[in-house]
Amino acid sequence: MTQSFNYTILEEAISWIESGQQVALATVVQTWGSSPFQIGSKMIINEKGKFLGSVSGGCVETSVITECLELIKNKNSFKKIDFKVSNENAWDVGLACGGEMTVFIEQIN
Amino acid sequence: MKIETLKQIIKKNSLNEQFAIITNLSNGSSEIFKIGSSLSKNFINFKNEIENYYNLKKSGIINNTEIFIENYSKPVEVIIVGAVHITQCLIEFLKNLNFDVTVIDPREYFVTKQKFQNIKIISKWPEEVFKKIRTDSNTALITLTHDPKIDEPALKHALKKKFFYIGALGSKKTHKNRCKRLKEDGFNNKEIGSIHGPIGLDIGGKSAPEIALSIVAQLVSERNKTIKI
Repeated sequence: MTQSFNYTILEEAISWIESGQQVALATVVQTWGSSPFQIGSKMIINEKGKFLGSVSGGCVETSVITECLELIKNKNSFKKIDFKVSNENAWDVGLACGGEMTVFIEQIN
Repeated sequence: MKIETLKQIIKKNSLNEQFAIITNLSNGSSEIFKIGSSLSKNFINFKNEIENYYNLKKSGIINNTEIFIENYSKPVEVIIVGAVHITQCLIEFLKNLNFDVTVIDPREYFVTKQKFQNIKIISKWPEEVFKKIRTDSNTALITLTHDPKIDEPALKHALKKKFFYIGALGSKKTHKNRCKRLKEDGFNNKEIGSIHGPIGLDIGGKSAPEIALSIVAQLVSERNKTIKI
């Protein structure tokens, strides 16, 4: 189901890179329990924090963007990030739905 | 991921092929996989597991490994008979849901380019079209003209080829008469019962976008019953 939207994101990634931007790609690679988005959901982020697509229903995007900006800044090529259930602390990043997920972020070059 | 890999993905998509992207999460390398294609040294040790996931069209991290596989399957083909207002609304939904759409309508005055951009549209009778295009149990048919001489040849073809979804627009009365004619033509009750008529989930819709929504909801629900992603 996410397939056709993924193409839009990947096409956009190519156009961002060709216009000289640095781009990181985030992909949901594993989910447990009632996580919001399915495996393969994607998001792209440039060095300025501009993004397209999503990996959850807005629960972990901020954290994924921060991690991607770090990745680009430090010129690292990839990282695997695990997200677990959030606690009651509203500022804590996590999944309110009670699921868990792993997001793989990588630089496109 | 390399930009070349990204470009290959876009190209494969335009060719409507099944393929997979495999990523080694322990070193970040990734490549495109298809049955019969060779694997690089990053993945060769997991050949059997990768082929297994590929054949099942399953996406995820392969058990006890650091190999992630993401399968991209061929989009499901939806054939719409009738280039009417509901069709325009349907196309918008279907594009977002990764369906491949073909519209058939022999009435040329219904087929104007302004209404249907970037869509395969064929202004011929359904029986002529079905002689030329490949259809199977992975195809869906939506008939919208409620004119028996246009809709019914398409319905008969879809029943014979066992399309996974067949829906026909028309009132209960229209559908009853349609079923009667199909029975006279030799189709059995089970076959005729597989036609969704009146088409769409009952959401109480009256306008064209609402009817399109009810059809799409029914189609997606049938697709999810047959295809495990």
